[in-house]
Amino acid sequence: MRRALFFVLAGVFCVGLQCAVSQKLAWQSDAKANQKQLVQFLYPEQVTVAAGKPSVVELHFRVNDGLHINSHTPSEKSLIPTQLMVEEPTGVNFASVDFPAGTEYSPAFSPNDKLSVYTGEFVLRAHVTAQRGDHLVQAALRYQACDAHSCYPPKTAPVAVSVIAK
Amino acid sequence: MKRNHLVLILVVAALALMVWTGVANYRRRKAEQEKLREMQTMLIPATPASSANAADVPEEDETSELEGKAAPNFTLENLRGQKVSLANYKGKAVLVNFMATWCAPCKVETPWLIKLRDQYASQGFEVLGISTDDLDKDDKKQNAQDKADIAKFVASMHIDYPVLIDGDSISDPYGGIDALPTSFFVDRSGKVIAATVGLHDRDELEANIKKALASGGA
Repeated sequence: MRRALFFVLAGVFCVGLQCAVSQKLAWQSDAKANQKQLVQFLYPEQVTVAAGKPSVVELHFRVNDGLHINSHTPSEKSLIPTQLMVEEPTGVNFASVDFPAGTEYSPAFSPNDKLSVYTGEFVLRAHVTAQRGDHLVQAALRYQACDAHSCYPPKTAPVAVSVIAK
Repeated sequence: MKRNHLVLILVVAALALMVWTGVANYRRRKAEQEKLREMQTMLIPATPASSANAADVPEEDETSELEGKAAPNFTLENLRGQKVSLANYKGKAVLVNFMATWCAPCKVETPWLIKLRDQYASQGFEVLGISTDDLDKDDKKQNAQDKADIAKFVASMHIDYPVLIDGDSISDPYGGIDALPTSFFVDRSGKVIAATVGLHDRDELEANIKKALASGGA
């Protein structure tokens, strides 16, 4: 019985150690992480939610002045939508993410086109359920920005939020 | 009795290791959070968003380091899988035009390029469209889909000049293509005589084409 207890404890220890060693942040695994960002994740760094209950976490972003990015539902299929890619840690479930509706925008170079874009600050609403404890949620916002004359290749902005479930 | 002691020691050691792991994990997470804070401090300007200005917009350097130098040669595939080199066009004036299917200003420029090519082809002018669209190199099925999407774009825009794929692979020798469209005007001797980033008006395109046609001839 005691021997069995020992093996169980040793097993738990090994799993814990492996988790500690293998923990990797989003920007550590993404070669493009050092790219110059055109969209910034503003806040929150930390959020407290009710343990085991569905909660909404608002993620605030800002598009650099003079730029726009396609909304989650661009007006044309060929345009790259804004998406949030989430690495769900154990104990946190992301049910869905609400994206705001895009603003209609007609570029000066093509006034007849009506694009669906985000400019300035915008907010994503993530529906999460977290088990009791502290969780580090890492995600990446994929977006494709343009200004009045040019478009920039798609980029991913790192997002990290410490979710405390009580 | 000895066996009981041994088991007890092992249990205590296991517990101690678990505590140590927990502390190490906690310290690690603290360090990561600190790193994150530093990173966000770097990313978010100290000034309020309302006072941010055009400095946030990436600068478009209109003067390419390549101007006056030989255009870096490249070999890329066209949509039929045939290899095409810039060197094949020596003696012609060539507009090397970096574009992508998701680039709205490129769609405005493309019809101009088609017409200008028609207009000046007889004088020895060619356009090479260089697609920078992502190509999945690990998944054959996705790769085929990526190419099909580019082909669909080419067909829908009625592009009749060569469009080459995997343009990202030649981005570095061309100074890094940060924004689209980016165009390099190459004269008959293979020298870059002008470069533009972003959408420019048709007249400027035409002036650069004329310049390329007039330069580098035998």
